[in-house]
Amino acid sequence: MFEHVLSVMIFLPLLAGVALLVLPIAKSGVRALGLGISIIVLICGLKVYVDFVGSGGLEFVEKHSWITSLGVNYHVGVDGISLFVLMAAAILFPMVFMVFGAKSKAYYCNMLIALGAMVGAVTAADLIVFYIFWEIMLLPIFFIIGLYGGEKRIAATIKITIYTIAGSLCMLAGLLYIAVAHHTQTGQWSFEIAQMATLELQGGFAVAAFIGMMLAFAIKIPLFPFHTWLPDAYTEAPTSTTFILSAIMAKIGVYGVIRLVVPVFEAEMARYAIVLAYCGVIGLMYCGIAAIIQKDFKRMLAFSSASHMGIIALGIFCMNVQALTGTLFQIVAHATSTGVLFLFAGILEERTETRHIEDLGGVASKAPIFATFFAIAMLASCGLPGTSGFIGEFLIILGAVKFNMVIGVLAGTSVVIGVCYMLWMFQRVFFENVTAKTEGFKDLSPYETAVFLPVIIIILVMGIYPQPFIAKVEPAAQKHILQMAVKGKPQVAEKNEFTIQFELTNN
Amino acid sequence: MQHTVTYLGLIPLMPLVGAVVMGLMHMFTCTGRRISEKVYSFLAVIGPVLATILALKTFLELRQMPEEARYLSQKVFTWFNVGELDVAMGFLADPLSVLMLLFVTFIGTLIHFYSIGYMAEDENYGKFFAYLNLFLGSMLILVLGDGPVVMFVGWEGVGLCSYLLISFYSKDRDNVLAGNKAFIVNRIGDLGFILGMSLLFWAIGTGGFDYLSLRANAEALTPALGIAVCLLLFVGATGKSAQIPLYVWLPDAMAGPTPVSALIHAATMVTAGVYMVARFSFLYVQAPLAGSVVAWVGILTALLAAIFGMFQKDIKKVLAYSTVSQLGYMFAGVGVAAYSAGIFHVFTHAFFKALLFLGAGSVIYALHHQQDIWKMGGLKAEMPTTYWTMLIGCLALAGCPLLSGFFSKDEILYMALANGYQGVWLVGVIVAAMTAYYTFRMFFLVFHGTPRDQEAFDHAHESPKVMTVPLVILAIGAVFAGYLNLPAIFGGDQQVTHWLAPSLVEHHPHGSHALELLAIATSIVAFAIGIFIAYKKYGQGAEEPEFKGFAKFAYNLFYVDQLYHNVLVRPYKGIGSSIQNMLEPYVTDGHVKLSTLLYQLLGRTFKIFQVGYVRIYAIYMVIGLSLMSLFLSQTLNL
Repeated sequence: MFEHVLSVMIFLPLLAGVALLVLPIAKSGVRALGLGISIIVLICGLKVYVDFVGSGGLEFVEKHSWITSLGVNYHVGVDGISLFVLMAAAILFPMVFMVFGAKSKAYYCNMLIALGAMVGAVTAADLIVFYIFWEIMLLPIFFIIGLYGGEKRIAATIKITIYTIAGSLCMLAGLLYIAVAHHTQTGQWSFEIAQMATLELQGGFAVAAFIGMMLAFAIKIPLFPFHTWLPDAYTEAPTSTTFILSAIMAKIGVYGVIRLVVPVFEAEMARYAIVLAYCGVIGLMYCGIAAIIQKDFKRMLAFSSASHMGIIALGIFCMNVQALTGTLFQIVAHATSTGVLFLFAGILEERTETRHIEDLGGVASKAPIFATFFAIAMLASCGLPGTSGFIGEFLIILGAVKFNMVIGVLAGTSVVIGVCYMLWMFQRVFFENVTAKTEGFKDLSPYETAVFLPVIIIILVMGIYPQPFIAKVEPAAQKHILQMAVKGKPQVAEKNEFTIQFELTNN
Repeated sequence: MQHTVTYLGLIPLMPLVGAVVMGLMHMFTCTGRRISEKVYSFLAVIGPVLATILALKTFLELRQMPEEARYLSQKVFTWFNVGELDVAMGFLADPLSVLMLLFVTFIGTLIHFYSIGYMAEDENYGKFFAYLNLFLGSMLILVLGDGPVVMFVGWEGVGLCSYLLISFYSKDRDNVLAGNKAFIVNRIGDLGFILGMSLLFWAIGTGGFDYLSLRANAEALTPALGIAVCLLLFVGATGKSAQIPLYVWLPDAMAGPTPVSALIHAATMVTAGVYMVARFSFLYVQAPLAGSVVAWVGILTALLAAIFGMFQKDIKKVLAYSTVSQLGYMFAGVGVAAYSAGIFHVFTHAFFKALLFLGAGSVIYALHHQQDIWKMGGLKAEMPTTYWTMLIGCLALAGCPLLSGFFSKDEILYMALANGYQGVWLVGVIVAAMTAYYTFRMFFLVFHGTPRDQEAFDHAHESPKVMTVPLVILAIGAVFAGYLNLPAIFGGDQQVTHWLAPSLVEHHPHGSHALELLAIATSIVAFAIGIFIAYKKYGQGAEEPEFKGFAKFAYNLFYVDQLYHNVLVRPYKGIGSSIQNMLEPYVTDGHVKLSTLLYQLLGRTFKIFQVGYVRIYAIYMVIGLSLMSLFLSQTLNL
């Protein structure tokens, strides 16, 4: 089974999801099977993680030719860049089946399909394979929000679907341009992602393709100002879907930029990095400030998540090893902390039947375990040292300072902005006096404690002893940055005074 | 000489393990059957006691080493290594950190014992000690960390504990708000710290990001970058150590239990900023401009806080402002490049300020949580131990000759003069007189005169032994700590300064004996004037005055809190609201709305042709066919 471990991780949930949809199995059975399948994926994921060498190249490669005439292959593999996204998906998905019950078995089936598609998108080493899984990923989300979402679900579904598809079409155009360019330059058809990095793309078409692809990912991440679908979708989606959207799907957007845009369009990237970096930090501040006045805690977390995505995306555009490694690390760190926060928000909603912050209070005195877990995840999301959130945030800020001092300062504001809205919310929900809604609040049951404990431990371990994780991804980040330098193009288009200054001091 | 030891990491680990154990115990039992307080008490003190023993061992080992090579280090593991950045979870014991280590563990342990008495019968007894242990562990990481990043771990850790302990009585909204304020203001400072640290790294940290490597490479730092780094780091210090403009959180932090005020908000955590500046003395000596900014911010903070302190009526607020004021002195010390003098004041201040807070706690405990000094009076008769120990603490704070506070404060003022900061010195002397005044105003109102609240007075009684014994121990420290660094003029040989010398980059002053005598004389005069006025006004008992004019302005803290609220907090929320109500629906979502609109427009335009009658469609077909025929005939040249 382990020779084809990636294919198993992709197709087992994908096929099972479709099969369970049509087979006459009861909801509880589907839930149990879904859990079993997601645990198999988790085991495979752990196997991949343990056996992963960290050479900087692709590992666990599987390659079969598919459309020979066009050079399209079914080609998957894992490197340091995809490893963390893959792990985030593998680790967090079982919780979808564990924590909340769903209205219908189709919910679980859709979730399985989403799992397979996400693993596929992350491990794809071929543009066409990537694009197919990228599109499949959206389908279950469309059905889930549309069928099982909150009151304004239809508007939210239409917005996220059309928005994302519009982006995807731009990406498709970009992908085709790259492939054609490859054909013109080498005389051969190929959709191999690794091949594309060797291309020399120039001219107006290249810029257009760059913008098109960047747009697709910017919408998915989402990067300011393409984030407006997010608050609605995150708020209206069922909690475990919001969890998947924020924890994994957004990260695949980030992953896409690192995998497809940065290596192929270095020249454009170097030129426009500063613009994109500003999008990142503005988004970070804009959504962070908007979070503080939200009255609905799920919506607040949605803005918080959008704010964090700003700084995570920033790490790519700084184009140095520290920031890029920070982003890769933060992909998992943010997935665990924010993901868990969304699930906790779901628990709060389920037990108090409200999402209104003002109606709550005193939860800490009623539910100490819940409050402690929540606090740990919250502090990780604020980037407190000792939790996973600090390492990534620090690396990104460090890299941003090297890239551009203004960007560095603006990125630094995240340490203040995060605590403002989080503490203000924590005070009103967990401290102060118990209200009518929280009077009978039940603490996490032993089962729930056992479900959440591993994630809480991951948050702490990744903060206290991150080096083993970093050792897995750092070579890939190094290689990525080096590759750009080797191709003879400047890493940073315009070096600002500060960069020059410290280079002088170093010599 | 072997510099690597294996037990340094254990020092912070001991209380941290205690924190985790007690935290888990409390978390799982606090809603059901509770664990006995005795269990928690035992677990609470074991970590600090072991840490103290290890701290002593470190000190003794270090003392045996030759002066120039006095450092011990331990790299526990590689924390993270990315490109040029290599950060180890490493600890460093050198004279500076060991001095801090000794008094932090010592006073920390004492306060743990004291808290056993003070917190008795609190429903969150276990949680309190878990937090207190966590604090001690974080503080020890801060002090022992071998580089700025590890220091930052402790730095944030103590900030978190400070937040948790200020909002400890979390049912009261004001307490939690005070906690939030402390955390957020500290975080504003941390923004400076993190940026300063990043700049420092890119400037000289790529060859090793620990103090020893940084110090070795410090020469390479350009002056402009040096100033930027020093000022940014100092922004961090103003947050943690409550200096202008970020001092506002500390007085509010008094909402926490009194032992917390003593340990965190007086003796240890708030001095972290001073420690950090001293730690980076090798950078600050290269940036005299940054140094003078530090000195002036410090001494002006001292002045401002002393003004506020003169009008407070809450006993803990008086002490809180005196802490801010004394911290100002410490920064003045390190700012004028007298690092050892600044650190020495940190050291003596820890004793007498912890003593004063614990004494105040004893009073508050006796009066059932009465904190208004205008409702106290005559307690001398009821609480003799508290009275005498508080007297020593007040004298030390006020700068009474021959007590610890006198020597350390005088050293700072003398060094300011010697290093050419006459202005700093002058303000410092004025503040010294004000300090004596407000300290004894409080002291006379609490212990002398007649009781203002007879009923509370009748119920008041001396606190239990577990609380008074720490008071006595600290009082002994408050008297004698100063003798460790007796200057030559008093026949001493400045042991602390010499001890610290290898850790600091410090020039010897160009002062003379005459200058030193002048500094001492003015300090004594200032002390005498301050205490005389206080005695005249409050020594025989006094009535609560109505604040008018400047007094009212000062009692209301110059309305700085209101100013910050209106200038920072409200606009911040205002921006949030306008994003929510204006930008989000009409601007950032504009391109989405616009495309929807265009799409609809397009649909409406083409709808005109879809009329639904077959005859019209037949006409379309005829037109289409004719056009096609025309086109075909043209292209095929028929």
